Amino acid sequence: MNAIQTTKLTKYYGKSKGIVDVDMTVTEGEIYGFIGPNGAGKSTTIRTLLGLIHATSGSATIFGKDITTSGPEIREEVGYLPSEVFYYDDMRVIDLLKYSASFYKKDHKAIEQRIKRLAEMFDLDLKKKIDDLSYGNKKKVGIIQGLAHEPRLIILDEPTGGLDPLIQQQFFNLLKEENAKGATILFSSHILSEVQRLCDRVAIIKDGSIIKVEQIKTLLENSTKRFKLQLVNTPDPSAFAVDGVSDLAILDHSVSFLYRGRVNDITKMLVTQDLTDLLVEEPDLEEIFMHYYQKEDEQ
Amino acid sequence: MNVFFRELNAYRKSTIIWCASLAAILVVFMALYPAFTTDVAATRQVLAQFPAAMRNALNISLANFFTIYGFYGYLLGFAALAGAIQAMNVGNGIISKEVSGKTADFLLSKPMTRVRVMSAKLAAALAIIIITNVVFSGVSYLAALMVAPEKFAAGTLLLLASTMFLVQLVFLALGALFAVLIPKVKSVVSVSLPTVFTLYIIGTLGDVLGNDNVRYLSPFKFFDTNYIIRNVSLEGKFLVIEAAIIVVAIAASYVIYVKKDVRASA
Repeated sequence: MNAIQTTKLTKYYGKSKGIVDVDMTVTEGEIYGFIGPNGAGKSTTIRTLLGLIHATSGSATIFGKDITTSGPEIREEVGYLPSEVFYYDDMRVIDLLKYSASFYKKDHKAIEQRIKRLAEMFDLDLKKKIDDLSYGNKKKVGIIQGLAHEPRLIILDEPTGGLDPLIQQQFFNLLKEENAKGATILFSSHILSEVQRLCDRVAIIKDGSIIKVEQIKTLLENSTKRFKLQLVNTPDPSAFAVDGVSDLAILDHSVSFLYRGRVNDITKMLVTQDLTDLLVEEPDLEEIFMHYYQKEDEQ
Repeated sequence: MNVFFRELNAYRKSTIIWCASLAAILVVFMALYPAFTTDVAATRQVLAQFPAAMRNALNISLANFFTIYGFYGYLLGFAALAGAIQAMNVGNGIISKEVSGKTADFLLSKPMTRVRVMSAKLAAALAIIIITNVVFSGVSYLAALMVAPEKFAAGTLLLLASTMFLVQLVFLALGALFAVLIPKVKSVVSVSLPTVFTLYIIGTLGDVLGNDNVRYLSPFKFFDTNYIIRNVSLEGKFLVIEAAIIVVAIAASYVIYVKKDVRASA
């Protein structure tokens, strides 16, 4: 069964575009990355799925249930951590987490035990008042309230802001644990290395539309390579005007570019150059991401 | 019930403060009653020199001002003003605070329909107003017992006291409606004070101008204390108007709240 399925999901805020015709399929048990810069439509998609905002058109299901008619049933199975966390300042952490637990039908004692375990894991003082917590600790409260009821679907919207690297690592380990137990994860981020570390598949969203869905492996293994050349002579830019070359940068005798296409074709061009050094490397996700963006812009 | 109890708990302090303040207003005013009744003829003469419009505006009727009911009706005008502010603060704040405090994401991503969230919040707001009125009515009765020179009908006094509850219900409903109509309420009092005082002034102006139709525009004038004292009942047509306002405001609040987009808090 698909954990999430959207069909032409569209949201306009008045006349301004949020997302347009978003088709997304997240299969149960996978960790699905959702990347794009701020304002691309990641949060709008997530908030529509959660029923916080209402779609202008299109449809979506979570575990086969329609988001417009089965909101509470769906949210019973979902844990959500937004990018910015705000809770009731007058409450103590433990009271907030028990309040959060009280909304779910699951065994409250089991949830409370898990709250304690997660609080220990993240070194969070449950007796403190929310108002007295640092932003990082509030984020830990957010993680615990989102995961304490062991949701089948975990939706994370830029979740790592405010977490130090150690806690981030613990958080990622926890997510992998949950995933190993069967939880599906939708992980939205604009930090590509995070997605690279965690996700199986990734959707790239730009200006409200998904422009590419790819296996992380495929994305990293695809024919896009970063070429770095050192030449004896000053490079002639026209020599690099080859199909598949992008992101060309020339500085003195150094040339750098991304290439997507048949290796034989690019080597034909390379043999015409007087090289002193050649480096071919895997581009990082950031470069691939920009590459997709450029491609989309060119179309 | 979790949202209901959470809200009762969140408003515990402010409810105690409002109850204590209303009780204090009541006790201070009622303590003045014996002073007004020591020389009724002289005081009546002084009050008679006031313009009738002013007496009306202050809820003073020469026919019954010196009875415990009339005096209590006079002070109710001020208590209802304070009560209206409390009711509007609660009705508005209990809903709008989730947006202004940016906690709407937390609450509305839980497995609960918005109708149930709204119902729990309105039920908590109503409970707060009922608690306030139970305290207010109890203190009213005890204060009247202390200062009334002779026996009085508790039913009439409590019927008078109930007008504050009725005024509060209207303002609670208006508060809820404004909470869903205004995209982001930064401060609850910036909504409640102008609304309450505008409607209070409209009612007072009606008294000053002697225009009875203004009664339909101001909830403060829906229930005339002199009518209640004379008839020991509330005016039916104003009960209907009150019910209609509340039903429309609450129904609209539900419809808007259910359809409303909760924009990102960042």
